Amino acid sequence: MDQNISVTTLFFSFAADRMNAREVSVPLPKGSTLGQLIAEHLLPRLGSESQDWLFSVNQEWASKDRILHDGDEVAVIPPVSGG
Amino acid sequence: MDIMRLTEAPIDVNEALAAIADPACGAQAFFLGLVRNEFEGRASAGIFYDAYVGLAEKELVQIGQELKAEFDIRHVVLIHRVGDLPVGTASVLVAVASGHRPEAFRAAREGIDRIKARVPIWKQEHWANGTDSWHDDPSALT
Repeated sequence: MDQNISVTTLFFSFAADRMNAREVSVPLPKGSTLGQLIAEHLLPRLGSESQDWLFSVNQEWASKDRILHDGDEVAVIPPVSGG
Repeated sequence: MDIMRLTEAPIDVNEALAAIADPACGAQAFFLGLVRNEFEGRASAGIFYDAYVGLAEKELVQIGQELKAEFDIRHVVLIHRVGDLPVGTASVLVAVASGHRPEAFRAAREGIDRIKARVPIWKQEHWANGTDSWHDDPSALT
């Protein structure tokens, strides 16, 4: 039986403007990777340059092959500009 | 003593001075970053600093640990302010203490460079004409 998970995805800076949201809950099939979340749900609205941005899962830097779990907190990190 | 954190409150230089005070240290290096009245020739009224607070604080702690491991410093303070800041306000402070000045200068320089390169914080310029734009936003380059 197919099972779905739900991940909380956070947006900052101009990524939040493009999504028109700071936080979105995204349903995904169980076993989905961070890369699948990005390709299927985020790239269309964030633009192709977002492929080169950094991402975190549960406040740790994460690679795109990271398997996501129900309740994970994903963050989209566009180029930073602190200082 | 070390301090690595984000803050919404004004940066307190005296708190940093007290944290790095140490009779074994003959050198203290300070860097204060301030909000400028222009960016790339365009008049600015201030900056809004957005941040992913949880990860930004972890990254500040990581950078502080790196500086202590790589340079011969005894204390480090890394504080970044977030929120709406007017021109002239301090947005970031790096303070280190060490036995002698060469490692203090090097560690302070490396500290601010790593903060700017890695910590998930973003600037939104409030232009003097009333419009806003995020730094590094490709769609803002018009």
